[in-house]
Amino acid sequence: MIHYSVVPMDVVFAGMENFVPSYIDIEHGGVSMQVEPLNGYQARIVRLISGNPQHYLDGRYAPGTIINFSPAL
Amino acid sequence: MGAPEQPKQQEPGTEEIKRNPTLDNIQQLGQVNTPSGESNLFCLTIIGQVEGHMVLPPQNKTTKYEHIIPQLVAAEQNPKIEGVLIILNTVGGDVEAGLAIAEMIATLSKPTVTLVLGGGHSIGVPIAVSADHSIIAETATMTIHPIRLNGLVIGVPQTFEYLDKMQERVVRFVTRHSQVTEEKFKELMFTTGELTRDIGTTVIGGDAVKYGLIKQVGGIGEAIKELNRRIEERKQQMNGGGFVQ
Repeated sequence: MIHYSVVPMDVVFAGMENFVPSYIDIEHGGVSMQVEPLNGYQARIVRLISGNPQHYLDGRYAPGTIINFSPAL
Repeated sequence: MGAPEQPKQQEPGTEEIKRNPTLDNIQQLGQVNTPSGESNLFCLTIIGQVEGHMVLPPQNKTTKYEHIIPQLVAAEQNPKIEGVLIILNTVGGDVEAGLAIAEMIATLSKPTVTLVLGGGHSIGVPIAVSADHSIIAETATMTIHPIRLNGLVIGVPQTFEYLDKMQERVVRFVTRHSQVTEEKFKELMFTTGELTRDIGTTVIGGDAVKYGLIKQVGGIGEAIKELNRRIEERKQQMNGGGFVQ
Protein backbone atom coordinates (compact mmCIF):
# COMPACT_ATOMS: atom_id res chain seq x y z
CA MET A 1 0.00 0.00 0.00
CA ILE A 2 1.31 3.41 -0.91
CA HIS A 3 0.11 6.30 1.14
CA TYR A 4 0.04 9.58 -0.78
CA SER A 5 -1.06 12.38 1.49
CA VAL A 6 -0.03 15.76 2.82
CA VAL A 7 -0.67 14.56 6.36
CA PRO A 8 2.52 13.04 7.82
CA MET A 9 2.48 9.28 8.03
CA ASP A 10 3.07 9.19 11.80
CA VAL A 11 0.00 11.35 12.36
CA VAL A 12 -2.22 9.20 10.14
CA PHE A 13 -1.13 5.93 11.69
CA ALA A 14 -0.83 7.15 15.29
CA GLY A 15 -2.45 4.69 17.66
CA MET A 16 -2.46 1.93 15.08
CA GLU A 17 -0.99 -0.59 17.58
CA ASN A 18 -3.82 0.00 20.06
CA PHE A 19 -6.52 0.06 17.43
CA VAL A 20 -8.28 -3.28 17.73
CA PRO A 21 -11.79 -2.87 16.38
CA SER A 22 -14.28 -5.65 16.92
CA TYR A 23 -16.51 -6.00 13.93
CA ILE A 24 -19.19 -8.54 13.20
CA ASP A 25 -21.09 -9.35 10.04
CA ILE A 26 -24.87 -9.20 10.25
CA GLU A 27 -27.87 -8.83 8.05
CA HIS A 28 -30.14 -5.91 8.81
CA GLY A 29 -33.29 -5.14 6.85
CA GLY A 30 -32.19 -7.43 4.05
CA VAL A 31 -28.79 -5.76 3.70
CA SER A 32 -25.66 -7.59 4.76
CA MET A 33 -23.21 -5.39 6.54
CA GLN A 34 -20.29 -5.25 8.90
CA VAL A 35 -21.07 -3.50 12.16
CA GLU A 36 -19.32 -2.54 15.35
CA PRO A 37 -21.52 -3.45 18.32
CA LEU A 38 -21.75 -0.51 20.73
CA ASN A 39 -23.83 -2.04 23.51
CA GLY A 40 -26.49 -4.66 23.89
CA TYR A 41 -28.92 -3.11 21.50
CA GLN A 42 -27.08 -0.76 19.18
CA ALA A 43 -24.37 -1.09 16.56
CA ARG A 44 -22.56 1.27 14.24
CA ILE A 45 -22.36 0.40 10.56
CA VAL A 46 -18.78 -0.01 9.38
CA ARG A 47 -19.40 -1.05 5.79
CA LEU A 48 -22.01 -2.69 3.64
CA ILE A 49 -21.37 -6.05 2.02
CA SER A 50 -24.29 -6.01 -0.33
CA GLY A 51 -24.39 -6.89 -3.98
CA ASN A 52 -27.19 -4.42 -4.67
CA PRO A 53 -25.60 -1.09 -5.58
CA GLN A 54 -28.80 0.80 -4.69
CA HIS A 55 -28.29 -0.10 -1.02
CA TYR A 56 -25.20 2.09 -1.04
CA LEU A 57 -27.30 5.14 -1.93
CA ASP A 58 -29.65 4.58 1.00
CA GLY A 59 -28.81 7.08 3.72
CA ARG A 60 -30.09 4.72 6.40
CA TYR A 61 -27.20 2.37 5.69
CA ALA A 62 -24.39 4.91 5.35
CA PRO A 63 -21.27 3.91 7.30
CA GLY A 64 -21.33 5.48 10.74
CA THR A 65 -25.09 5.19 11.11
CA ILE A 66 -26.22 3.66 14.37
CA ILE A 67 -28.75 0.90 13.98
CA ASN A 68 -30.83 -0.99 16.48
CA PHE A 69 -29.47 -4.44 16.70
CA SER A 70 -29.22 -7.12 19.32
CA PRO A 71 -26.96 -10.10 18.79
CA ALA A 72 -28.74 -13.44 18.67
CA LEU A 73 -27.75 -15.31 21.81
CA MET B 1 -42.58 12.97 -29.87
CA GLY B 2 -44.49 10.96 -27.36
CA ALA B 3 -41.53 8.86 -26.28
CA PRO B 4 -41.30 8.56 -22.49
CA GLU B 5 -38.25 10.26 -21.06
CA GLN B 6 -37.13 7.67 -18.58
CA PRO B 7 -38.37 4.15 -18.21
CA LYS B 8 -39.33 3.49 -14.63
CA GLN B 9 -37.96 0.05 -14.07
CA GLN B 10 -35.52 -0.06 -11.21
CA GLU B 11 -36.94 1.27 -8.00
CA PRO B 12 -34.33 1.05 -5.29
CA GLY B 13 -35.43 -1.73 -2.94
CA THR B 14 -35.66 0.29 0.18
CA GLU B 15 -39.13 -0.32 1.49
CA GLU B 16 -38.48 -3.29 3.75
CA ILE B 17 -38.13 -1.40 7.00
CA LYS B 18 -41.18 0.26 8.48
CA ARG B 19 -39.27 2.82 10.49
CA ASN B 20 -39.34 6.54 10.37
CA PRO B 21 -35.91 7.59 9.08
CA THR B 22 -36.43 11.22 10.06
CA LEU B 23 -37.24 10.25 13.62
CA ASP B 24 -34.17 8.00 13.66
CA ASN B 25 -32.01 10.86 12.49
CA ILE B 26 -33.29 13.16 15.20
CA GLN B 27 -32.68 10.53 17.86
CA GLN B 28 -29.25 9.51 16.67
CA LEU B 29 -27.72 12.58 15.13
CA GLY B 30 -29.83 15.40 16.51
CA GLN B 31 -30.61 16.63 13.04
CA VAL B 32 -33.13 16.18 10.29
CA ASN B 33 -32.09 15.30 6.80
CA THR B 34 -33.20 17.81 4.26
CA PRO B 35 -35.55 16.17 1.77
CA SER B 36 -33.39 14.86 -1.04
CA GLY B 37 -35.74 12.28 -2.47
CA GLU B 38 -36.51 14.05 -5.71
CA SER B 39 -33.07 15.31 -6.70
CA ASN B 40 -31.80 14.21 -10.09
CA LEU B 41 -28.24 14.82 -8.92
CA PHE B 42 -26.10 12.55 -6.84
CA CYS B 43 -23.69 14.42 -4.60
CA LEU B 44 -20.60 12.50 -3.64
CA THR B 45 -18.32 13.96 -0.99
CA ILE B 46 -14.72 12.91 -0.70
CA ILE B 47 -13.36 14.20 2.58
CA GLY B 48 -10.43 13.57 4.90
CA GLN B 49 -8.22 10.61 4.10
CA VAL B 50 -9.09 8.33 1.23
CA GLU B 51 -9.07 5.00 3.04
CA GLY B 52 -7.81 2.07 1.06
CA HIS B 53 -6.60 -1.36 2.03
CA MET B 54 -6.02 -0.48 5.67
CA VAL B 55 -8.60 0.65 8.18
CA LEU B 56 -7.17 3.85 9.59
CA PRO B 57 -7.25 4.63 13.33
CA PRO B 58 -10.30 6.59 14.47
CA GLN B 59 -8.60 10.02 14.70
CA ASN B 60 -8.73 10.10 10.89
CA LYS B 61 -11.78 11.30 9.10
CA THR B 62 -11.97 8.98 6.15
CA THR B 63 -13.69 8.36 2.85
CA LYS B 64 -14.18 4.65 2.47
CA TYR B 65 -13.59 3.64 -1.09
CA GLU B 66 -15.49 0.38 -0.77
CA HIS B 67 -18.58 2.49 -0.17
CA ILE B 68 -17.88 5.09 -2.87
CA ILE B 69 -17.34 2.55 -5.65
CA PRO B 70 -20.78 0.84 -5.37
CA GLN B 71 -22.35 4.29 -4.94
CA LEU B 72 -20.94 5.25 -8.31
CA VAL B 73 -22.19 1.98 -9.78
CA ALA B 74 -25.64 2.78 -8.37
CA ALA B 75 -25.49 6.33 -9.71
CA GLU B 76 -24.66 5.03 -13.16
CA GLN B 77 -27.42 2.45 -13.04
CA ASN B 78 -30.22 4.39 -11.34
CA PRO B 79 -32.36 6.09 -14.01
CA LYS B 80 -33.46 8.80 -11.56
CA ILE B 81 -29.91 10.09 -11.25
CA GLU B 82 -28.96 12.27 -14.19
CA GLY B 83 -25.71 13.80 -13.03
CA VAL B 84 -23.03 13.38 -10.38
CA LEU B 85 -21.48 16.21 -8.39
CA ILE B 86 -18.26 15.33 -6.60
CA ILE B 87 -17.20 17.62 -3.78
CA LEU B 88 -13.62 17.26 -2.66
CA ASN B 89 -11.94 18.31 0.51
CA THR B 90 -9.32 15.68 0.95
CA VAL B 91 -5.77 15.48 2.27
CA GLY B 92 -4.93 12.47 0.12
CA GLY B 93 -4.65 8.84 1.08
CA ASP B 94 -4.23 5.47 -0.52
CA VAL B 95 -2.98 5.58 -4.11
CA GLU B 96 -4.87 2.50 -5.25
CA ALA B 97 -8.15 3.62 -3.70
CA GLY B 98 -7.79 7.16 -4.99
CA LEU B 99 -7.03 6.05 -8.52
CA ALA B 100 -9.90 3.55 -8.37
CA ILE B 101 -12.34 6.33 -7.49
CA ALA B 102 -10.85 8.59 -10.16
CA GLU B 103 -11.17 5.92 -12.84
CA MET B 104 -14.77 5.22 -11.81
CA ILE B 105 -15.69 8.90 -12.09
CA ALA B 106 -13.87 9.27 -15.40
CA THR B 107 -15.75 6.36 -16.96
CA LEU B 108 -19.28 7.29 -15.81
CA SER B 109 -21.52 7.91 -18.79
CA LYS B 110 -23.59 10.50 -16.91
CA PRO B 111 -22.37 14.09 -16.66
CA THR B 112 -19.94 14.67 -13.79
CA VAL B 113 -18.57 17.83 -12.23
CA THR B 114 -15.97 18.03 -9.47
CA LEU B 115 -15.74 20.93 -7.06
CA VAL B 116 -12.59 21.35 -5.00
CA LEU B 117 -13.34 23.13 -1.75
CA GLY B 118 -10.72 23.69 0.90
CA GLY B 119 -8.22 21.19 -0.38
CA GLY B 120 -7.68 18.49 -2.92
CA HIS B 121 -4.19 17.32 -2.08
CA SER B 122 -1.98 14.46 -3.22
CA ILE B 123 -4.23 11.63 -4.43
CA GLY B 124 -7.08 14.18 -4.44
CA VAL B 125 -5.52 15.70 -7.56
CA PRO B 126 -6.37 12.81 -9.93
CA ILE B 127 -9.87 12.64 -8.42
CA ALA B 128 -10.30 16.38 -8.96
CA VAL B 129 -9.45 16.16 -12.66
CA SER B 130 -11.37 12.95 -13.34
CA ALA B 131 -14.79 14.48 -14.08
CA ASP B 132 -16.11 16.02 -17.31
CA HIS B 133 -15.74 19.44 -15.78
CA SER B 134 -13.71 20.59 -12.78
CA ILE B 135 -14.16 23.66 -10.62
CA ILE B 136 -11.99 24.97 -7.81
CA ALA B 137 -12.97 27.48 -5.14
CA GLU B 138 -10.86 30.61 -5.13
CA THR B 139 -9.35 29.77 -1.75
CA ALA B 140 -8.99 26.03 -2.28
CA THR B 141 -5.54 24.50 -2.51
CA MET B 142 -4.04 21.47 -4.17
CA THR B 143 -0.68 20.14 -3.07
CA ILE B 144 1.28 18.39 -5.78
CA HIS B 145 4.22 16.47 -4.38
CA PRO B 146 6.10 13.21 -5.03
CA ILE B 147 4.91 9.85 -3.75
CA ARG B 148 6.93 8.31 -0.94
CA LEU B 149 7.35 4.74 0.13
CA ASN B 150 6.44 3.75 3.65
CA GLY B 151 7.31 0.67 5.63
CA LEU B 152 10.47 -1.28 4.96
CA VAL B 153 12.42 0.32 2.13
CA ILE B 154 15.37 -1.49 0.60
CA GLY B 155 18.09 0.83 -0.60
CA VAL B 156 18.46 -0.56 -4.09
CA PRO B 157 17.91 1.12 -7.47
CA GLN B 158 14.86 -1.09 -8.03
CA THR B 159 13.11 0.67 -5.15
CA PHE B 160 13.41 3.94 -6.96
CA GLU B 161 12.21 2.41 -10.20
CA TYR B 162 9.16 0.98 -8.45
CA LEU B 163 8.40 4.34 -6.87
CA ASP B 164 8.81 6.06 -10.20
CA LYS B 165 6.37 3.61 -11.78
CA MET B 166 3.76 4.26 -9.08
CA GLN B 167 4.20 7.98 -9.53
CA GLU B 168 3.88 7.64 -13.27
CA ARG B 169 0.37 6.20 -12.79
CA VAL B 170 -0.73 9.40 -11.08
CA VAL B 171 1.07 11.68 -13.54
CA ARG B 172 -0.37 9.85 -16.53
CA PHE B 173 -3.92 9.95 -15.18
CA VAL B 174 -3.72 13.68 -14.40
CA THR B 175 -2.21 14.65 -17.75
CA ARG B 176 -4.72 12.52 -19.64
CA HIS B 177 -7.72 14.05 -17.89
CA SER B 178 -6.67 17.69 -17.72
CA GLN B 179 -4.94 20.31 -19.81
CA VAL B 180 -1.72 20.27 -17.79
CA THR B 181 1.34 18.99 -19.62
CA GLU B 182 3.52 16.27 -18.20
CA GLU B 183 6.50 18.65 -18.03
CA LYS B 184 4.53 21.26 -16.12
CA PHE B 185 3.01 18.73 -13.72
CA LYS B 186 6.39 17.19 -12.96
CA GLU B 187 7.89 20.62 -12.54
CA LEU B 188 5.20 21.43 -9.95
CA MET B 189 5.77 18.08 -8.30
CA PHE B 190 9.51 18.50 -7.88
CA THR B 191 9.74 22.20 -7.00
CA THR B 192 11.93 22.88 -4.00
CA GLY B 193 11.66 25.76 -1.58
CA GLU B 194 7.90 26.07 -1.71
CA LEU B 195 6.74 23.56 0.89
CA THR B 196 8.31 23.65 4.33
CA ARG B 197 8.65 19.95 4.94
CA ASP B 198 8.55 18.54 1.46
CA ILE B 199 9.25 19.20 -2.17
CA GLY B 200 6.36 20.09 -4.42
CA THR B 201 3.95 22.96 -4.92
CA THR B 202 0.79 24.26 -3.34
CA VAL B 203 -1.48 25.44 -6.11
CA ILE B 204 -4.19 27.86 -5.02
CA GLY B 205 -7.50 28.50 -6.81
CA GLY B 206 -6.77 30.45 -9.98
CA ASP B 207 -3.26 28.99 -10.31
CA ALA B 208 -4.76 25.52 -10.78
CA VAL B 209 -6.73 26.93 -13.71
CA LYS B 210 -3.68 28.74 -15.05
CA TYR B 211 -1.64 25.51 -15.13
CA GLY B 212 -4.50 23.72 -16.88
CA LEU B 213 -5.20 21.32 -14.01
CA ILE B 214 -8.71 22.59 -13.30
CA LYS B 215 -11.08 24.15 -15.82
CA GLN B 216 -12.68 26.97 -13.85
CA VAL B 217 -12.65 28.93 -10.60
CA GLY B 218 -16.04 29.00 -8.93
CA GLY B 219 -18.33 27.57 -6.33
CA ILE B 220 -21.44 25.52 -5.90
CA GLY B 221 -23.53 27.82 -8.11
CA GLU B 222 -21.22 27.36 -11.08
CA ALA B 223 -20.96 23.63 -10.40
CA ILE B 224 -24.73 23.04 -10.42
CA LYS B 225 -25.18 25.31 -13.43
CA GLU B 226 -22.54 23.45 -15.41
CA LEU B 227 -23.96 20.08 -14.39
CA ASN B 228 -27.48 21.08 -15.38
CA ARG B 229 -26.21 22.38 -18.70
CA ARG B 230 -24.47 19.07 -19.39
CA ILE B 231 -27.56 17.09 -18.35
CA GLU B 232 -29.69 19.10 -20.78
CA GLU B 233 -27.13 18.60 -23.52
CA ARG B 234 -27.05 14.85 -22.93
CA LYS B 235 -30.86 14.65 -22.94
CA GLN B 236 -31.02 16.46 -26.25
CA GLN B 237 -28.34 14.25 -27.73
CA MET B 238 -30.18 11.15 -26.67
CA ASN B 239 -33.52 12.36 -27.95
CA GLY B 240 -31.88 13.48 -31.19
CA GLY B 241 -30.30 10.08 -31.56
CA GLY B 242 -33.76 8.55 -31.50
CA PHE B 243 -33.41 6.46 -28.38
CA VAL B 244 -34.06 6.79 -24.72
CA GLN B 245 -31.92 5.35 -22.00
